[in-house]
Amino acid sequence: MELLFNLTLNGLATGMLIFLLAAGLTLIFGLMDVLNFAHGGLFAWGAYSGIWIYSTTGSFLIGIIGAILTGFILGIITERWIIKPVYGNHVQQILITLGLMLVLSEMLKVVWGPNQLTANPPEYLSGSWEIGDMIIIKYRVFIIAIGLLVFAGVQFLLKNTKIGLVVRAGVMNKEMVQALGINIKKVFMFVFMIGSGMAALGGVLFGPYSGVIHAGMGMEFAILAFIVVVIGGMGNFTGSVMAAILVGLSGSFMAYYVPELSLAVNMLLMAVVLIVKPQGLFGGKG
Amino acid sequence: MKWIVNNRINAIYIIIAAFLFLLPFVYESRNMLILLTQIFVFAILAMSYDLLLGFTGIVSFGHAMFFGIGAYSIGIFMKRFEPTMLHFIYAVLATILITAIVSFIVGLLTLRLKSHFYAMLTMALAGLFLVLAEKWRTLTFGNDGFTFRVPELFIDRTNFYLICLAAMIATFMILKRFTNSPLGRVLQAIRENEQRTESLGYQVLHYKIAASVVSGVLAGIAGIFYAMSLRYVNTSVFTMDITLDALLMTIIGGVGTLVGAIIGAGLIEFAHDGLTELAKEHWIFERWIIFFGIIYILVVIFFPLGIVGTLRKFTWKRKKQQPAKKKENLAG
Repeated sequence: MELLFNLTLNGLATGMLIFLLAAGLTLIFGLMDVLNFAHGGLFAWGAYSGIWIYSTTGSFLIGIIGAILTGFILGIITERWIIKPVYGNHVQQILITLGLMLVLSEMLKVVWGPNQLTANPPEYLSGSWEIGDMIIIKYRVFIIAIGLLVFAGVQFLLKNTKIGLVVRAGVMNKEMVQALGINIKKVFMFVFMIGSGMAALGGVLFGPYSGVIHAGMGMEFAILAFIVVVIGGMGNFTGSVMAAILVGLSGSFMAYYVPELSLAVNMLLMAVVLIVKPQGLFGGKG
Repeated sequence: MKWIVNNRINAIYIIIAAFLFLLPFVYESRNMLILLTQIFVFAILAMSYDLLLGFTGIVSFGHAMFFGIGAYSIGIFMKRFEPTMLHFIYAVLATILITAIVSFIVGLLTLRLKSHFYAMLTMALAGLFLVLAEKWRTLTFGNDGFTFRVPELFIDRTNFYLICLAAMIATFMILKRFTNSPLGRVLQAIRENEQRTESLGYQVLHYKIAASVVSGVLAGIAGIFYAMSLRYVNTSVFTMDITLDALLMTIIGGVGTLVGAIIGAGLIEFAHDGLTELAKEHWIFERWIIFFGIIYILVVIFFPLGIVGTLRKFTWKRKKQQPAKKKENLAG
């Protein structure tokens, strides 16, 4: 029982981290038709900058804010200088974002050196609660809470605000939104910024969760995020959170029982979704 | 006119090939020989990549997977059994079989969808193969990899150089023939306009899968030669770096040209070599991937045709000013 509970908690926490990465990917894809292969790089940049600020200032909160700001800035730069010149050309977009991924992860090594950094949760989040036999690690609960908070926030933004309305309309039909006199380019930039910020937030939360961060982790998480985006349906925000939890849970359970197969199971899931319902498990139209 | 131009280009190719064949006999430098061998091997990989990216318009981010399958099959066959020609042939057959099956399945799953899916699935599958190679220690010896002996024919560096060169030229000619065949024409039509090709009655999916399989098998063969040149194989053959190398070579050299892939392979490998030397001077050169990454981004934005493509565009422009000759071109 205790084991099951812990595995579930672990899976949920990992799922939330993947969600933070995949949500940005899926929103950007839905609106702009761009699959951002550099998203994992933004995740890693969030982790490095956040942990660095955290260790110099000593405040985890400032670290998180710093990471999100880094994400925003990188997102704006990426959208403006890298992706905008090749709008409308799918092959070029795919190629260029991968090039950016390469530059981003190498830049990490230039700025912070090639070795991995260590990170510990702050005082008030380390340790665990004991309820009966069960041990609940505080930091995991914290990640899950933040993930749910971000989900609720973005959901609120999409459903209840003017910009959210424009974004939802843009996902359905870009040309129509433009014809109604809305500058969709600005909306693109806004969405890209939010998506990058979420990825960076995921990165900085991941730091103390795993204890170490290294430059290759962006790629590892990006692969999981792609799997989530496919399972949840490309461009489907609510689908992505469900799929992220699914992938997180299956990853954590498989890692305990059959560790060799943990990635393979997720891949298999993705393959099945691609065959049976390429528009994603949790959505009508794709 | 076109015939003469073509002939002139063919003549240049033949001269360069002859020069490369004779090189090891007149210029004895072991390092140079090894570097050139490496270039030939990567040229095969880059050309196989070009078939996908340049001729069919499919982006693969997991080409390392096929390369690695080739490298590991030769390694395992040579290690487990005697390093004889027979087992070499078995390894080649195994590579062809596995790469064909894998690329067929990947193609079947994703090629009917948008181009993102193929890129994503290949990337994820390559990741899976990397994990597999790390975890299946009894067969692959994990991260450390293993050394193996090669059949006698391949032991001598000069011999091996000549064989790789021959393999590269053969691949070039096969792919040239392949892309000019009716099948290759359909592939190029798909690249230009998929819906239109489909409405002309072609089964687009079948053609794309065919391209994917041919490309995968060739990449596997490049992997065989790569592992044999090092006589060592480890998990690095499955990493993203290999895919990126192929990508850079193809893009910088020029997509959809085949020759561009060879030129790109030469440039990148020479640059690798030079920059590794420079790393002793200043630490920034250790991170040479950054320079490649930046050049790559600039090329994608400003010269999407690459070196060979841009050169060709200029020659075409010049020809356009002489309409009579252009007509001849179309006819011929």
